[in-house]
Amino acid sequence: MNNHELYALIIILLVSIGTYGLRLSGLLLSGKISDEGKIRIFLDYLPPTLLLSFVTPVILREGLAGIFAIFFIAVCMYKTKNVFLSMVIGVVTIAISRNFFY
Amino acid sequence: MATRTYISNDFINGAKANTPIGLSVFAYGAVLGMLCAQKGVEIYQLTLMNVFIFAGTSQFIIVDKWNNISEIFTIVAAALLINLRYFLIGASLNSLFKKSSLRDKFIYMHLVADENWAVTIERSKRESITPLFLFGGGICLFSIWSIGTYIGYIFSGFISDPSKYALDFAFIAIFTALCFNLYQGKRNLIPWLIAAVVAYVTEYLFGGNLYIVLGAIAGSLVGVILEAKK
Repeated sequence: MNNHELYALIIILLVSIGTYGLRLSGLLLSGKISDEGKIRIFLDYLPPTLLLSFVTPVILREGLAGIFAIFFIAVCMYKTKNVFLSMVIGVVTIAISRNFFY
Repeated sequence: MATRTYISNDFINGAKANTPIGLSVFAYGAVLGMLCAQKGVEIYQLTLMNVFIFAGTSQFIIVDKWNNISEIFTIVAAALLINLRYFLIGASLNSLFKKSSLRDKFIYMHLVADENWAVTIERSKRESITPLFLFGGGICLFSIWSIGTYIGYIFSGFISDPSKYALDFAFIAIFTALCFNLYQGKRNLIPWLIAAVVAYVTEYLFGGNLYIVLGAIAGSLVGVILEAKK
């Protein structure tokens, strides 16, 4: 085994342990928290705000097409509650914009 | 016996519910596989990452820095910073695992990715599910992700630019749809807006991936402040 392979293995090992540690410790520490009060509200808000934070910069980077895509997704989800259909509509909107307007 | 059927149903339902999002996971994996082939990553190294790390974006970081692999600290720090959101994701799964044993928590948490987490959280608001739903989704995504990386690796010369078909936007579109489904009324508006603005500004100013965690924390804190007043 050469140095490069050894370094790669060390990195893979450390990132594996760290990532699993983050996943598990988040769950185990939250279990110590009671059902009531401010921390509960905080944890309830985490999923949607995490998703929003994830997508907002990417959507805005797409410009007008991104805004349109989100609008169509919102309408589709409101009318049909169908996640897959909403995804297709969003992807097609962006694909059309990238292939015909740039 | 009845319980057993119920449990395995949850596993299968979880796998099924994650199949649509698997399309974009497959595309994302194929891109990583191509990158691996170009950078000279061995199949066994790719496999180790898929099995033990199982977090796409951080795998991209590692492969991207493959030629400077001796910078161990920098690479590990960057990869773990990106995966910091898994701490919050783990915390948000608290109520799903309420009745689970410690053993189940240790096993199921490894295969938690953004996609099966989002699908599980959204489903758990509508019906009662067990952590097996999450795990079924994890196994489904793990399989699709791995196959995607190997196909990308093998056919690295043949696949043209996936961004042309906006396949990179697929998971963004799904996350957005799942997020809209979690909307509970006007009281969510201000915290959500704060999360979006903080995420956007942080990403704009500093780049990197810290914006995901900062936006979520800012929005959730505002939610606490607004609702604790009442």
